[in-house]
Amino acid sequence: MAESKHILVIGEVEREKLTSTSRELLGGARRLAGQMGGMVNLLLMGPAVSAAQEGIQYGADKVYTAQDAIFSEFNSDACTQLTGEICRKIRPMLCLFGQSDLGRDVAPRLAAKLDAGLCMDCVEIIFDAGSNRLLQTRPVFGGKAMAVMATSGDRLQVNTVRAKSIAPEEPKDERKGEVISVTDGVDASLIKVKLVESKRMETEGVKLEDAKIIVAGGGGLGGPEGFEMIGQLAKLMGGVVGATRVPVDENWVPLSMEIGQTGKIVSPDLYIAIGISGAAQHVTGIVNSKKIVAINKDPDANIFRMADVGLVADYKVAVPILIEKLKAGR
Amino acid sequence: MEIIVCIKPVLDPDMPPAKFSVDSKTNRVIPPEGMPLVINPYDALAVEAALKIKEAKGGKITAVTLAGSFATEILRKAVAMGADEAININDPAFEDSDTFSTAFILAEVVKKIGKYDLVLCGRQAADWDNGVVGSVIAEYLNIPSVIRAKGIVVTNGKLRVERVVANGFEIYEMGLPAVVTLSSEMGQARIPTGWGIINAVKKKIPVWTCSDLGLDPVRVGKTAARNSLVKLYTFSPSRSCEMITGKDDKEAAGKLAEKIMDIKP
Amino acid sequence: MENFDAIVVGAGPAGCAAAYTMAKAGLNVLVLERGKYAGAKNTWGGALFGSAMNEVFPEFWKEAPVERSVSRHAISFLTKDACLSVDYKDSHSDGSSTPGFIILRAKFDQWMAGKVEKAGAIIAAGLEVDDFIREGKAIRGVKVGGEEFPANVVILADGVNSLLAVKAGLRGEFKAKDLKQGVKEVLRLPREVIEDRFNLRGTDGAVMEFVGHCTLGLPGGGFIYTNLDSLSVGVVVQLSALLEKRVKASELLEEFKAHPAVQSLIRGGELLEYSAHLIPVSGISMMPKLFADGIMITGDAAAMVLGTGLILEGANFAVAAGVAAGNAAIRAREKNDYSSAALQSYEQALKDTFVLKDLNTFREAPHFLENERIYNAYPQWACDLMSRIFCSNGKPRKNTFQVVRESMKGRFNIMQLFSDFMRARRAM
Ligand SMILES: Cc1cc2nc3c(=O)[nH]c(=O)nc-3n(C[C@H](O)[C@H](O)[C@H](O)COP(=O)(O)OP(=O)(O)OC[C@H]3O[C@@H](n4cnc5c(N)ncnc54)[C@H](O)[C@@H]3O)c2cc1C
Ligand SMILES: Cc1cc2nc3c(=O)[nH]c(=O)nc-3n(C[C@H](O)[C@H](O)[C@H](O)COP(=O)(O)OP(=O)(O)OC[C@H]3O[C@@H](n4cnc5c(N)ncnc54)[C@H](O)[C@@H]3O)c2cc1C
Ligand SMILES: Nc1ncnc2c1ncn2[C@@H]1O[C@H](COP(=O)(O)O)[C@@H](O)[C@H]1O
Repeated sequence: MAESKHILVIGEVEREKLTSTSRELLGGARRLAGQMGGMVNLLLMGPAVSAAQEGIQYGADKVYTAQDAIFSEFNSDACTQLTGEICRKIRPMLCLFGQSDLGRDVAPRLAAKLDAGLCMDCVEIIFDAGSNRLLQTRPVFGGKAMAVMATSGDRLQVNTVRAKSIAPEEPKDERKGEVISVTDGVDASLIKVKLVESKRMETEGVKLEDAKIIVAGGGGLGGPEGFEMIGQLAKLMGGVVGATRVPVDENWVPLSMEIGQTGKIVSPDLYIAIGISGAAQHVTGIVNSKKIVAINKDPDANIFRMADVGLVADYKVAVPILIEKLKAGR
Repeated sequence: MEIIVCIKPVLDPDMPPAKFSVDSKTNRVIPPEGMPLVINPYDALAVEAALKIKEAKGGKITAVTLAGSFATEILRKAVAMGADEAININDPAFEDSDTFSTAFILAEVVKKIGKYDLVLCGRQAADWDNGVVGSVIAEYLNIPSVIRAKGIVVTNGKLRVERVVANGFEIYEMGLPAVVTLSSEMGQARIPTGWGIINAVKKKIPVWTCSDLGLDPVRVGKTAARNSLVKLYTFSPSRSCEMITGKDDKEAAGKLAEKIMDIKP
Repeated sequence: MENFDAIVVGAGPAGCAAAYTMAKAGLNVLVLERGKYAGAKNTWGGALFGSAMNEVFPEFWKEAPVERSVSRHAISFLTKDACLSVDYKDSHSDGSSTPGFIILRAKFDQWMAGKVEKAGAIIAAGLEVDDFIREGKAIRGVKVGGEEFPANVVILADGVNSLLAVKAGLRGEFKAKDLKQGVKEVLRLPREVIEDRFNLRGTDGAVMEFVGHCTLGLPGGGFIYTNLDSLSVGVVVQLSALLEKRVKASELLEEFKAHPAVQSLIRGGELLEYSAHLIPVSGISMMPKLFADGIMITGDAAAMVLGTGLILEGANFAVAAGVAAGNAAIRAREKNDYSSAALQSYEQALKDTFVLKDLNTFREAPHFLENERIYNAYPQWACDLMSRIFCSNGKPRKNTFQVVRESMKGRFNIMQLFSDFMRARRAM
């Protein structure tokens, strides 16, 4: 179905603004469109049309806004239906989602409906002009390997893209674009699931994904008390606390703190890993950190292989000293 | 409740990275010697979820897998946990099927089984980490789906599913039949009992082939793949690590504090 | 509830051999293994010598996952920086003797378990037996976390740490002086590099033993075995000595790996796994009661290991003993009598095979091996002697005998040497 070279980006909005992942998708789409020729289309489903202009500043040529009441909350069936409609209209070559709640859910279903190719959780998408194919790289085997997948023929390609893996473009106020309001309603008879309750844990202050400094704890902290201790350290440094899956599974900390393949993908300037072994599934979520500091009592811990600075010590001894010294400053 | 659980054998995801290697000529993973495949951890949770529903509502659980003849061993794990039946979907024509072909075949298996209220999958297979098959089975069967579930409750012929989202949980309601994929937040899968294991060893596990399912071999396997694998390579991010030492932990920690003040943005 | 003819605890070499023997004879056999799968956690050096395995699984090496066949056997004496080696090569080309086979347990145990299943036994893995079902004094099955598994006879093949042997009243716990601690790493190296470094062709393999500095003089030794594309590198040290000197075997392994002679062989190896395991080494003197009503014990659990210093063999003993136990169970079933008196045929069979014969022959070895001079003074002396013979320091060279005599001076006297020699003769 892909006669065109257009790209469709499925945008997401939070607090009236495009999410950072959506901006990254637009950046990637802009650069690919530059090589392939074709337009960058952005679809926004939901009430926050104010983000349409922002979409244009970040690289969209056309913004489709769908404001059907059903989009006021996430509904997988409605989103799948509408993205399908828009694809049929624009006939893009590539459709990009974030690897988000929405993307994980809708992208596979859309690809099934449209007989499209599909790559989940891509960290790189390049256009190979020679073979006229898209090549997408994605981490597999829990981050222990990378797979490069090629599109075949001129099938529509649907991809989800991992957060923090591609750079956004600088927003430009002067960029021009068209905002098109999608008026087709959603066929309610096709809605099969109904949201009855939503329990969100709104994070105060900086989100983990956006933090410049993260102090993360693992199974080695041994309990919630350990997290209180590293919480003090984080606070002192103006950072945010994160965790591996073990403390989440043990209920020491909420799920929203999990970092890694199945948790959040982060890229802070400084990542301090305390009592973390460095399993592939966790490491894959922190590889883009600028500096990684690790404290672990096991000198052979894998985390030291990918840290810039390491200390072999019991965190119960080391962290109080860190707190004390950092308080005192130099 | 008639429940079908899709399970996949995978390389042990907890295996040390050093044991993981790829044959760069064939773009295939070299299976580490002496380490048998394990049931995909999320699929063990799907079996657990099925058992919980069965305990509450009664019914029957059928485990199915599409992998190869060796996969019988993995199906036995599900039977040992308490699944009533198991079917091994195995045919050379199915080799190198992509997620869509896999979902297509599994959807056909579900249709052939005929009576079903619920299809359960893992949120993703811990090898290729797609997280696709469950949703696509639902598309092909044209039934509702919820992914990344933490809990499932059946009341009055309706399904309530609590699912995990980035910053919390959502509860959805839908009619039956439906597809649900399970996430790690659901808890732990039970460990089989001894007699469970012994029963599983004795269980006859039928094999269904391409022709048993009446499928056109061209619609499945490598020929039907929508994306092709161009390259597979191991990835082990590594940096050169400066190890901080001191005459004791205290001194070393002090030095680390200095270091952190240097690099702190 | 189903009653099994026999339950075997442990799917190592002893357990598999016993179960295979019984299943082939048509017995209804259950094997309970605590590992996630047979071989999951099992470790050894290791090379399999002797013909016991071949008798159970004829020409097993053609089918089983063996790494290499042993064509080179070297023993080296280490001081801090020197190494003196005796290197023995045998291509076994005349077929007069079967070579040993270097084997990795995880793979091999799975293969054996597969054979046992094909023969008709049930192997249930992931189950740790923790108690027995009893009927008066007699044992009538086993328990796993409260679940009961009844059987006419139980064969314990659960290895050196057998708590069950203690529970069954067959023995007390093994003592530290009767145990050695083995620690081992598997290091990945490309096949060609291994063949180059160890001077091997095809699937030929080398077994290298080291004595002396590698254990910092404690009773024991180091080893390197060549697998197909990895090396097994480890040390085996007297447990009581480790406890006494407060050193960890893992520290000795690091020391061993850092020795120049060893370093040059293992250089560039990538760590695949680390494991630790105890070995019962005192032979006959530590052997438990081998049977009682409804129970037999075999393999490491019964201390059927031969450790003469030059050789450490347990697997072939375990296999032969497993077969003997299996046969005893078969006879017991024929007579429908599982009493202690009926199972006596097990011990008799062991006496008729190499198992008890060899252990008897070498019964002095463990005692002899406690002698610290073997690990300290002698390697020092031998290397020192070589250094005196080979190093030229500009002075006129002395007659070799004179050098030998000088090199011994202040280390030990002729009487000690003579007495050690005589004891060695008796022990080995
Ligand atoms: C399919 C799949 C997906 C997964 N996804 C994720 C994911 O997204 N994110 C994630 O994090 N994990 C994930 N995991 C789990 C992952 O494989 C590891 O199990 C997990 O990351 C281990 O967490 P840990 O290092 O904190 O804990 P552990 O493995 O328990 O390690 C604890 C570490 O702390 C050290 N330590 C102990 N005590 C102290 C002390 N007093 N002082 C200092 N150090 C100490 C120990 O030496 C050890 O290295 C996933 C697993 C699977 C199978
Ligand atoms: C470092 C080292 C090097 C060695 N090198 C050699 C060598 O080169 N050549 C040689 O011939 N021998 C060698 N040996 C000795 C050899 O490994 C043993 O003698 C042999 O493995 C004994 O076999 P087994 O079947 O009695 O016991 P094991 O191999 O120890 O098997 C016991 C089995 O029982 C299981 N088990 C234990 N408890 C329970 C329970 N409660 N319930 C269920 N299952 C249980 C265990 O998981 C295991 O699978 C070496 C040993 C070591 C440690
Ligand atoms: N070959 C297969 N056989 C059975 N179930 C499968 C297979 N592949 C995937 N699944 C199911 O689909 C889920 C998601 O897989 P995937 O989309 O490949 O990540 C898995 O957790 C399984 O429940």
